[in-house]
Amino acid sequence: MSATQTGSPYIVAQDVRKSFGAHEVLKGVSTVFRTGEVTVIIGASGSGKSTLLRAINRLEPHDSGSITIGGTEVTDDEATLLKQRSEVGMVFQQFNLFGHMSVLDNVTLAPRRIHKLARPQANDKAMQLLKRVGMEAHAHKYPWQLSGGQQQRVAIARALAMEPKVMLFDEPTSALDPEMVQEVLDVMRQLAKAGMTMIVVTHEMGFAREVADRVMFFDQGCIAHDAPPAEFFGNPANDRIRAFIGRMSA
Amino acid sequence: MLLALWPAHWSRTQRSNATLIAALLLMVLVLSVLGQFLSFFPEPIGSNAELFAEGALTTLYLTLVSGAVGLLLGTGAALARTSRMGWLRWIASFYIWAIRGTPLLVQILFVYFALPVLVPGLNLPDFAAAVVALGLNAGAYNAEAIRAGLLAVPRGQTEAARALGLPKSRVFTDVVFPQAFKISLPPLVSNFVALLKDSSLAYAIGVVELTNVGNRIQSATFQPVQTLVTVAITYLILTTLVTQVTHAIEYRFDVEGRVK
Repeated sequence: MSATQTGSPYIVAQDVRKSFGAHEVLKGVSTVFRTGEVTVIIGASGSGKSTLLRAINRLEPHDSGSITIGGTEVTDDEATLLKQRSEVGMVFQQFNLFGHMSVLDNVTLAPRRIHKLARPQANDKAMQLLKRVGMEAHAHKYPWQLSGGQQQRVAIARALAMEPKVMLFDEPTSALDPEMVQEVLDVMRQLAKAGMTMIVVTHEMGFAREVADRVMFFDQGCIAHDAPPAEFFGNPANDRIRAFIGRMSA
Repeated sequence: MLLALWPAHWSRTQRSNATLIAALLLMVLVLSVLGQFLSFFPEPIGSNAELFAEGALTTLYLTLVSGAVGLLLGTGAALARTSRMGWLRWIASFYIWAIRGTPLLVQILFVYFALPVLVPGLNLPDFAAAVVALGLNAGAYNAEAIRAGLLAVPRGQTEAARALGLPKSRVFTDVVFPQAFKISLPPLVSNFVALLKDSSLAYAIGVVELTNVGNRIQSATFQPVQTLVTVAITYLILTTLVTQVTHAIEYRFDVEGRVK
């Protein structure tokens, strides 16, 4: 959508491999995610797209190859990893809000603990973010009192509270009722417009078409195709992709 | 019970605090007037009222101290039991296996009589020996209750906290432990109430707690019915007050409003 070519490389994956037991989920994935770029990753279940996302912030350590964020390699080194994770926001399919904390505390926890922000400042900042995702009226509620869409919007605000340089979305709307999908996509669309670097694993073809700068198709642990959305959807590279798009859009 | 007393418009925390304060005050009140109250009763209770009161106080004190030891040990053992380090898991499993597989009475006797033989110079006074044995015992049972809680916290909670960049220690103290503790609370309460009653076994090594007092009086007066009923009712009062406190704590953590 925006200046794809001008962004500098931010996350670089080189020949990333990962196996669960005998099953190889990532079979040597290499790609570059640039600053300001919105990448949508699509593909069948089990094709490795979520695993790549989770390898970027090391929730799922890769077996070989390398991933660098802003030039620094992602390894088990705790201090570096904490810094990298605080710069990489992540939104999960199951929201994973902290159930024992109010919405406000969910959003303020990380800034208070990591940036040592005092509670009043952290609360102010959290309220601004909650306003941005349209959840300011629910700040004092607990996660169980919210709908799925509302929880996911809070989860986005929680990730944004660390002022990340990139946001990873792991199927953010897959666990939602159909009528709640749009409210979450709207927030993501707004983020993309504001210039956030985003990597989104999703099955929402409409979102990919409209918001993505590039669409990546995962197939059996490899990047099978990588193209701007107009080309990707307008002129599918092969029959597998054509069939996949057909199934998803039906 | 006490929770139902407060006005409906009070918040969860206010009700919990009020209950906690009320139950603790009641406990202090009951223990301080128990002697005077029992002195109005006919023989053999009236003349031995002070002994009963002191026995009750010793029982509660013994329970509180060994309960605290048991909670710390239990948390430590639960962490060790779920640790990534094999030898830690092994030690914790051994501890839980040994304690749960042997009678508490044997453990109490062991700490009091056998430990000084094995470790010369370690002559614990009766009360301290009882605290060690009861604390070790409670710790093993608490460990399993807390471990169950730790395992019940969904993996996604840890992942979300780690993904935010929180260090492991923070993930544990801010996210995992509070949720695990809430889940573990009902079994921990059961263990604590069991401990209050099991502290009566300390009588075997001469700790002058409630049961010991009752037994001495009944054998001296040949009036077992009155004495033992008094002992039993005193235990009931103590356990009732203790469960009021723990219920208030449980209520406080119940952000989902599921505790009725």
